[in-house]
Amino acid sequence: MNLTLKVWRQKNKNDQGRFETYQVQDISSEMSFLEMFDVLNERLINEGKEPIAFDHDCREGICGMCSMHINGRAHGPWAGTTTCQLHMRAFKDGDTITVEPWRASAFPVLKDLTVDRGAFDRIIEAGGYISVNTGNAVDANAIPIPKDKADAAFAAAACIGCGACVAACKNSSAMLFVSAKVSQLALLPQGDPERSTRALNMVAQMDKEGFGSCTNTGACEAECPKEISLTNIARLNREFIRSGFTYEK
Amino acid sequence: MKWSQFFNTSIGKKLLVGATGFFLCSFVLVHLAGNIQLLYKDGGKAFNTYAAFMGHNSLIQFIAWGLKIVIVLHALIALQLTFSNRRARPVKYAISAGNQTSSWYSRQMAVMGSILLVFIVIHLADFWAKFHYAELPTISYEANGEPIKDLYSIVWQVFENPVWVIIYVIGMIGLSFHLIHGFKSAFQTFGLNHVKYNGLISFVGVWLFGILIPIGFAIIPVYILFNH
Amino acid sequence: MLDAKIPAGPLDKKWENYKGHCKLVNPANKRSLEVIIVGTGLAGASAAASLGELGYKVKAFCFQDSPRRAHSIAAQGGINAAKNYQNDGDSVYRLFYDTVKGGDYRAREANVHRLAEVSGNIIDQCVAQGVPFAREYGGLLSNRSFGGTQVQRTFYAAGQTGQQLLLGAYSALERQVALGNVTLYNRHEMLEIVKIDGKARGIIARDLITGKLERHFGHAVLLASGGYGNVFFLSTNAMGSNVTAAWKATRKGAFFGNPCYTQIHPTCIPVSGDHQSKLTLMSESLRNDGRIWVPKKKDDNRKPADIPEDERDYYLERRYPAFGNLVPRDVASRAAKERCDAGYGVGSSKQAVYLDYAAAIERYGKIEAGKRGVHSPSPELVRQLGVEVVAEKYGNLFEMYEKITGENPYEVPMRIYPAVHYTMGGLWVDYELMTTVPGLYALGEANFSDHGANRLGASALMQGLADGYFVIPYTIGNYLADEIRTKAIPTDHPAFVEAEQQVKANIDRLMSIKGTKSVDSFHRRLGKIMWDKCGMARNEKGLKEAIEEIKALRAEFWKDVRIPGTADEFNPELEKAGRVADFLELGELMCIDALNRRESCGGHFREESQTEEGEALRDDANFAYVAAWEYKGDSSYELHKEPLIFEEAKPTQRSYK
Ligand SMILES: Cc1cc2nc3c(=O)[nH]c(=O)nc-3n(C[C@H](O)[C@H](O)[C@H](O)COP(=O)(O)OP(=O)(O)OC[C@H]3O[C@@H](n4cnc5c(N)ncnc54)[C@H](O)[C@@H]3O)c2cc1C
Ligand code: HEM
Ligand code: SF4
Ligand code: FES
Repeated sequence: MNLTLKVWRQKNKNDQGRFETYQVQDISSEMSFLEMFDVLNERLINEGKEPIAFDHDCREGICGMCSMHINGRAHGPWAGTTTCQLHMRAFKDGDTITVEPWRASAFPVLKDLTVDRGAFDRIIEAGGYISVNTGNAVDANAIPIPKDKADAAFAAAACIGCGACVAACKNSSAMLFVSAKVSQLALLPQGDPERSTRALNMVAQMDKEGFGSCTNTGACEAECPKEISLTNIARLNREFIRSGFTYEK
Repeated sequence: MKWSQFFNTSIGKKLLVGATGFFLCSFVLVHLAGNIQLLYKDGGKAFNTYAAFMGHNSLIQFIAWGLKIVIVLHALIALQLTFSNRRARPVKYAISAGNQTSSWYSRQMAVMGSILLVFIVIHLADFWAKFHYAELPTISYEANGEPIKDLYSIVWQVFENPVWVIIYVIGMIGLSFHLIHGFKSAFQTFGLNHVKYNGLISFVGVWLFGILIPIGFAIIPVYILFNH
Repeated sequence: MLDAKIPAGPLDKKWENYKGHCKLVNPANKRSLEVIIVGTGLAGASAAASLGELGYKVKAFCFQDSPRRAHSIAAQGGINAAKNYQNDGDSVYRLFYDTVKGGDYRAREANVHRLAEVSGNIIDQCVAQGVPFAREYGGLLSNRSFGGTQVQRTFYAAGQTGQQLLLGAYSALERQVALGNVTLYNRHEMLEIVKIDGKARGIIARDLITGKLERHFGHAVLLASGGYGNVFFLSTNAMGSNVTAAWKATRKGAFFGNPCYTQIHPTCIPVSGDHQSKLTLMSESLRNDGRIWVPKKKDDNRKPADIPEDERDYYLERRYPAFGNLVPRDVASRAAKERCDAGYGVGSSKQAVYLDYAAAIERYGKIEAGKRGVHSPSPELVRQLGVEVVAEKYGNLFEMYEKITGENPYEVPMRIYPAVHYTMGGLWVDYELMTTVPGLYALGEANFSDHGANRLGASALMQGLADGYFVIPYTIGNYLADEIRTKAIPTDHPAFVEAEQQVKANIDRLMSIKGTKSVDSFHRRLGKIMWDKCGMARNEKGLKEAIEEIKALRAEFWKDVRIPGTADEFNPELEKAGRVADFLELGELMCIDALNRRESCGGHFREESQTEEGEALRDDANFAYVAAWEYKGDSSYELHKEPLIFEEAKPTQRSYK
């Protein structure tokens, strides 16, 4: 199939950026979206032009690196799918596809479709862990964990930190991401000792990074490639209220 | 975390919006129950007595002032959040998902709220200010009973004018969409999200607060327009 | 001869003895000792967190935008540990034995035993960190079985075990960052080792966003930079996985161990066209219930459903009745290749075999119907119930398959083909994980490791975490204890200046070629040579040809590669070029090693060395050694041998018939 691509090009952080239009020919429906970009880039290189920079690594939907806003949708039109898992079957011959980077003040564009998601790391640094030095652990079966709790913790822990929730949210809120980590650790007995400080500190850091606040529109859940549930945001709110009202410091 | 810090976080502020929102929800419920008496063709007896009681009971007056503060607080914090949320995305998307991933009214809470705010100002200027500070004709229903202000007739007069009726209907459309999302949203804000209750919350939010109550309010001017 | 510094004493006491006698560094001194860690996968992140906790000053580097994105994140199936929670007879000894045997007797016994000893601690540590492993209804941990073993010792978190383990290690790492013990350098690529007085003392790294070269000092340098499967261009590895860090070390004097040992995984989604950029693994667990077959007739173009039962060749069940579809990876891969080469392959490319769930769906459906008391269920009901069971067990994998191929695997059998998956070879290390360069260590998939010539499923995660959490914190102290008097060396030391100049010269050289062909085009061509001649089956003639072809390709690369943009900006093409340049050297060494090893063992199959039935034939008399190659200049390598002595696990011919 033949397609028209409108792609955001931006030389670096300080550049203004603009859209450029490219025609791509003979795209097979079996290609992945990123392979289509490979084809385009190969051509740009052969024409002596600069290829389009985009983040990617695993290309199987787990590393969370790929991040394209495609025709208005974070990770494109398929639900529960990362950009790298999106295949060209999703498009028709003659389509025009507009590709933009994630847009949020907390995710500055570095180049073309590549953004800086360091804010997520800093949020985890603020409390997205259990403080247990290597060697301190008790036997793994010493504390039984109800299966439903363990399963819910796993479902929350499946977050790949891609930032699509932020990209999809009209407020650029990172609540789904933060809530996924807070939920995972709140659901497990191992997370209990640091429960009070975790939610408070992670939310404080989230605010400091310049993410917006949540208005419960649900766009994040709809776009999350790992289908992280809004119930996690509710749990984060509960954790935050609980800590805010009871924690003494 | 100190209280001042707590309520300055994004979630803390949302909690204030939610708490005030809940309070306002309870208010609209009570307010409608009172106002529905405007539909009685009793020469305003029930309504005017109710209004006079409300206007003179000091506890209720206290709550009524509190209510105004709550509305201002709710609007201020919510609008402040809305503006800071907009700043969180300085460069907009060329193409956005629109209604594919969220409902339009959930994204337009500030617009619906602002319609409501304008409406509330007009509404207060119209009736509440008049009731309290303007000279109103009085009426007394019982023999040698104390004369009370006849707000009922004022209301009936005002809604003879279709322009006012339209303003009120628009205001209630604003309320409807504000609450279809807002009621459920406030539960989520307080962390109350549970499969066993979500259906009920949604139902009450959409049907009672989002549809019945706004329609109840809107019916009053419309009814008066066609029945005076 | 190479000295692996294996501690004396009985096998099961070696690690105990080592720990009891190795040198220690006191806490005050740790604060002034700096450690550089390249890589934040399971091995790197766990090492960085653990060393940070001990009080060392750690700098950790990765080329992705966050440590959490390291390739370890993609591991699906699980992690082994000798916990014996299932009471099915597992023990440290059995895990040790299975691993040595699975590796076709080409691994170092002492290392493998240590690995088995610490395996249980890994699970404890991960659970304490909040890793949500699968559990039973009673709240205790669940296990599954994996290829090459007879016990259930694999811990897992759905099909995302690597992700959960890495996020655990990553959170421990981020905690140390918050505490100020570890400094992270994301989007940084290490491009050179700095050696001073024979010891590794630092690295040169490129900030991938600004293109700036940076000098970093460390009293010791740890490479946890992962495997080099991408030398084949198409593999199940992440796109960025590369050999650069290990290769720079090789050029600085670290020996490279067993480069030719590569693991080809039997169940991957086949290539769909020339555009293909990587291959996707379908977890080994699918072979538990799926049946593998090809048509009995050549070039049979009927739809799979139209091919009757007696015209199907379930070749694994036919050739290996004892293990059937669950033979080890190397065996299953070769068998698939054999069928396709003989003309029985399926799909448009004919380079695929069927992995069929119809029988499993029917079997499970009947069991379910029975459980519900339905005695003569309709075929529809059986199917419906069967699909439910299969979806519960493998749903996410089936979904993944459907996303990629557009075919519904509940209805049509999956098409699969072997693909490059893992590299058992890597930097040669001694018992302490130190390379032949003092102060330079290699951890995880980057070292030549504990897996011999073939890695068992669920053992790489175990090894990476063992190295990082439980081995290096002890062994590095043994080295650093003698370094407490070494002050941090300022990075204007001539060795740093020279190393940086070298890196800069290399980058300038690449940028100045301004040729006509893209980096990827060279990478593809290299991959094809490697796959055809140093892939699943190798022979002398092919390997010799490959060596010449790679040399020619390398020369062409350095004359004709085109890298757009400049070196002082974010330039992914330049990054790739540097990596492909190193692959072009490594590929040659792999062929040299494969040529040298005139036996078949594990993943290394020399056509000249097979039994009459076409099974791999080891030559213990001549090849029971680790081949460690020393770089001696362009295309020139010297072989050093580390003899392998088996005291406990006596070599026998592997048989799965
Ligand atoms: C699809 C798939 C599934 C798998 N499933 C399993 C399984 O179920 N069980 C199992 O045991 N094993 C499995 N494996 C194998 C296992 O995942 C890997 O062997 C293991 O994760 C490697 O970990 P590592 O820490 O050594 O390296 P990696 O995770 O590859 O990390 C390498 C790190 O080094 C960094 N790096 C590399 N070069 C440089 C440089 N020059 N400069 C700076 N940084 C650099 C990278 O940024 C990265 O952080 C699987 C592998 C694949 C491909
Ligand atoms: C009778 C009047 C009102 C009622 C009953 C009401 C009710 C609510 C409720 C229940 C919420 C949800 C809170 C949450 O999600 O936690 C809400 C949110 C909000 N309200 Fe109101 N409100 C009223 C008036 C107003 C006014 C006058 C404004 C002024 C602009 C306004 C603006 C907003 C905004 C911007 C939000 C935030 C949207 C969000 O976070 O989802 N509201 N309101
Ligand atoms: S919550 Fe979902 S969308 Fe957000 S970062 Fe995690 S995986 Fe991505
Ligand atoms: S490239 Fe890893 S999730 Fe898309």
